[in-house]
Amino acid sequence: MSDDVDADKLAAGADKPAVSPVQPAKAPHEVFSSGERLVSIASPILLLLAWELSARAHLIDVRILPAPSVVLATIWELLREGQLAGDVRDTVVRFLIGLVFGVVPGVFIGATMGLFRWPRAALGPLVAMLYNVPRIALFPLVLILVGLNEFSNELMIALGPFFTMLITTMGAVMNVEPAYRDVARNFNTGTRHLYTLVVLPAITPALMDGLRLSLGLALLGTITVEFLVGDSGLGHLIWNSWTVLSLKQSMAGLIVATIVGAFFYASLSWLERLLIPWR
Amino acid sequence: MAEVAIARADLDRREFGTRDAHGIFIQRLGKSFISRGNEIHALRGVDLSVRQGEFLCIVGPSGCGKTTLLRILGGLEKPSEGGLDFRIEHGNDPLQSMVFQEQGVFPWLTVLENASFGLTVRGVPREEREAASRHYLRQLGLIDFERYFPRQLSGGMRQRVNLARAFANNPAVLLMDEPLSALDEQTKMLVQEDLLRLWEGSKKTVIFITHSLDEAVVLGDRVAVMSHRPGRIKAIFDIDLARPRRALELRNDPAFVAIRGRVWDSLREEVLSSAATDRTDAR
Ligand SMILES: Nc1ncnc2c1ncn2[C@@H]1O[C@H](COP(=O)(O)OP(=O)(O)O)[C@@H](O)[C@H]1O
Ligand SMILES: [Mg+2]
Repeated sequence: MSDDVDADKLAAGADKPAVSPVQPAKAPHEVFSSGERLVSIASPILLLLAWELSARAHLIDVRILPAPSVVLATIWELLREGQLAGDVRDTVVRFLIGLVFGVVPGVFIGATMGLFRWPRAALGPLVAMLYNVPRIALFPLVLILVGLNEFSNELMIALGPFFTMLITTMGAVMNVEPAYRDVARNFNTGTRHLYTLVVLPAITPALMDGLRLSLGLALLGTITVEFLVGDSGLGHLIWNSWTVLSLKQSMAGLIVATIVGAFFYASLSWLERLLIPWR
Repeated sequence: MAEVAIARADLDRREFGTRDAHGIFIQRLGKSFISRGNEIHALRGVDLSVRQGEFLCIVGPSGCGKTTLLRILGGLEKPSEGGLDFRIEHGNDPLQSMVFQEQGVFPWLTVLENASFGLTVRGVPREEREAASRHYLRQLGLIDFERYFPRQLSGGMRQRVNLARAFANNPAVLLMDEPLSALDEQTKMLVQEDLLRLWEGSKKTVIFITHSLDEAVVLGDRVAVMSHRPGRIKAIFDIDLARPRRALELRNDPAFVAIRGRVWDSLREEVLSSAATDRTDAR
């Protein structure tokens, strides 16, 4: 009996695992050679260097575009004064609350609409219509209805992630590979197992993609809201510095906001590898 | 109408020996779909009796309704007319499980979790279900890969996971819809051998759909030929080849070649007229 199996494995050359056991396959990531990697690191550094040198050589007007070294020094200065930490904190808190406010109901309503026909019929056209409204144009309305307070800020930030997650989740639930549903049905899978063992894992990759989009939208929303009504946060720092023509502070705010965004992107990639080990 | 069907079923039971013989009795089964406003008759007047414990293969031209028939048997589709009667003893075990094609394996479950799926959703305790699954994974040469995800396996191995999942669920009837059609020729023969070995050690009834005549004759106790659409059972052939069979050796056996020739004569007409109707449909 075991002879048969071994013979099978030998005979079927194609039957070897595609990946070795010690190194389980990761998400499809492009692999660069060492030369390519060097270039990918070198190019931003070269750009910064060119910027710095042109600023020093007065090839560009430093009143418009301060040199990177000046921006870095400004960041350091703002940190020491203690203002920057408060701005970062306010922005991050706003961003996270808005994100959660948007993502949680978006996933919930999207899943309901994906699973059941009646909610889909009732809400589908409404969602399609609202999705096309330029969201920032709603801000005055929100301010009137909710008031000039932190809650209306978070509501505005939540809108982008909300619609994105709603549409992504609904689509993902409706597009679960029919074969998976057939398997579940043929094995008489109960509701709890259907959701935990089949539907949820099947939609997780799409949810992570939606979350990545939502992250960008929430950050954009946060900075925009802070431009418009904020009295704190990185958006306020960037905009306020610009109005008083302190461009190095404005640039410093921009750089820190970029770092904050990159940090959350990296966390999401880490979360994705954790949640989708099968990819 | 109903009387005719019952009379027919009685006839089949007599054919199997006793009046209350066990088996799956399909009577006057029909199924139509509405597609773009037109009614398509996929099946019409399917009469078929499957004996408990036999390995029945069904062949037929593509589009003749084989998948539809199996999905009805698997409870995934309702018949439009006629009926089916599972007179199968299955005790506390499930009545039937389907073996799906490759894409039926869940990519997010490991090999072991996939194989245990049927038992998991039935609430079988972990120890017990893993022991049952490992039994089949071992027989299918997959035991060293139980922690792998399907993506890390070859097509042949993924198909074996499908087999392990169905066998581990321990149903009385196994329903298979062209489970090996995506595999290359050599891998296919190896998985056929695995399947024969697993089945010969069990008392399970198998209904196996294939478009490969060779496969049907290698595996089946009987081969049913379906007509072109709307499908019905046109002829049934007994395959009197000794068991246990070796899928790898059988193909040059003169007895095998002779039987395959007879079945092919029956199937060829259907394939040709199916091609003819496709041409008129297209016009
Ligand atoms: N869900 C469906 N809706 C409409 N037509 C269908 C559906 N399923 C199958 N059919 C039609 O029924 C016929 C039989 O299909 P199928 O059972 O898949 O054939 P086979 O498996 O023998 O190739 C085909 O003409 C197919 O187009
Ligand atoms: Mg088919």
